[in-house]
Amino acid sequence: MLQNEFIAKIEQEFGLDSAHITIVAEKKIAVTVDSGQALAFLSYLKNIDFIQMSLITAVDWIAENHFELVYTLVSWEKNLTVSVSTFIPRSEPRMVSVRHIWPTAKYYEWDINEFFGIVFSGHPEMGKPLFLEGWSEKPPLRKDFDPQAYSYERFPSREYDYEVENKGRVVE
Amino acid sequence: MKEVKLFHGPNHPGMHGNFSVHLTVDGDTVVSARPNPGMLHRGFEKLMERRSWIQNIALIPRICVPEPDINEAVYSMGVEALAGMEIPERAKYIRVIVLEIARIMIHLMSVGGIGGPTGLYTAPNWGIADRDLFLDIFEKLTGHRIYHMYIVPGGVRQDIPADLLKEIEEKLDNLEKRLVEYRELIFDHPIIHKRLKGTAPLPKELALAWGITGIGIRSNGFDYDIRKYDPYLVYDKLSFDVPVCDESDAYSRLMLKFREIPQSMRIIRQAIADMPAGKVRIKLPGNALKWKVPKGAVYSRLESSRGEYGYYMVSDGGLTPYRVHVRGASYPQGLYGVEAGLPGTRLEDVAVWLDTMGVCAPEFDR
Repeated sequence: MLQNEFIAKIEQEFGLDSAHITIVAEKKIAVTVDSGQALAFLSYLKNIDFIQMSLITAVDWIAENHFELVYTLVSWEKNLTVSVSTFIPRSEPRMVSVRHIWPTAKYYEWDINEFFGIVFSGHPEMGKPLFLEGWSEKPPLRKDFDPQAYSYERFPSREYDYEVENKGRVVE
Repeated sequence: MKEVKLFHGPNHPGMHGNFSVHLTVDGDTVVSARPNPGMLHRGFEKLMERRSWIQNIALIPRICVPEPDINEAVYSMGVEALAGMEIPERAKYIRVIVLEIARIMIHLMSVGGIGGPTGLYTAPNWGIADRDLFLDIFEKLTGHRIYHMYIVPGGVRQDIPADLLKEIEEKLDNLEKRLVEYRELIFDHPIIHKRLKGTAPLPKELALAWGITGIGIRSNGFDYDIRKYDPYLVYDKLSFDVPVCDESDAYSRLMLKFREIPQSMRIIRQAIADMPAGKVRIKLPGNALKWKVPKGAVYSRLESSRGEYGYYMVSDGGLTPYRVHVRGASYPQGLYGVEAGLPGTRLEDVAVWLDTMGVCAPEFDR
């Protein structure tokens, strides 16, 4: 089993507790690490040929009051996909940028900064608009942002001041 | 020489959609480029959090306009993985047929679409006309031409009639004859040779550093295709080749797309021949609109015409998805690639670069 070999390898080489590793499906593994350890673990993965940064995404767990950052990495040689999750507090959403490890991460992090308000230190574009030009509300993918309330407030329903001819009458 | 700032787009021949690039040019050479996405941002991820698992099927095909079926397929595969569902064998074969017809359609559109940035205007007319014949198949199968909403969690909406299978085979035979003409018109054409050979090169180191998948990496000698590496549906039971070439320029990337069309035909013919009889859909438990998907997170992915297309889906056990992130296949080349790869290109080649890299604005604007 390729996965088990790989899990044994990272347990041994990185000293990760096996409780933090789950097998999601065939060829897919999920790992949870502390936010302080995340950068070291990600650069370790890069060195054992996880060259493709597939996706960086965030999940807003508002009830637990933290954000989950998920890095999905693919190794073509090992034919494995690893999702690395790390949790950061909602009150101080900061993380170290990985754009020096995978250059493509620049836009994923910028994207998350815009939609979740998570700040990546070492990233030059934080706070600048990417997709949402002229947006001044709170980051829209946070769970406490209500798009319906926003659109009612931003685009109030119009009052029409005219008489409707034949209102309520059937015209033949 | 004085540098000039130039706004390339939002509408230009290299793009199906609105996506502009802010260029700084020195004479005709691009000095720096900055992508300016967001014109097609429609907030899909937030909208999906407010709709039930089944309602989303009607929403998501709109994420990628020229190739909508991959959205339904990747979403359904993700939901099935979360719910631990195993769909009927016949449904898997039908999904493969639908996805491969969709791949042929988008490749016809891109191979024809090269006429835009190069000025060979017969090509787009041919490409769109031949694509239209396959839209007829979809109209008969699903009732819709562009957004089909046919692949749903649990299988496909309805069975594929036997006469339609015969029609698909006939259309494939016709297209096979047409492909000879495409080769003569496009790939042997002096304009295309002059404009595309050696234009917009993508060196291997850059392709690896950006994490490009799909045509971009296969034109650099890697045979990375998710259909082979991590087979989904029934791709492991079908035999097909992955076209690969060694040197990546605009011409070779376009040629790879063209060479994938006969492979897709091969897959469809095998799938039609091997398809078992049986059910095409399993019933969801209870009321489909009040279906609760078990807790969990999954990264579901498949091979689109442009590379790895994935959804990261999280369920908290509720009626709606807790979070869905759409990973557009052209995210690496469309955003970081534009910034890092365009400098040094000549201004007239910018549209060729964007077109042959397979940049699709709606899928990363979301």
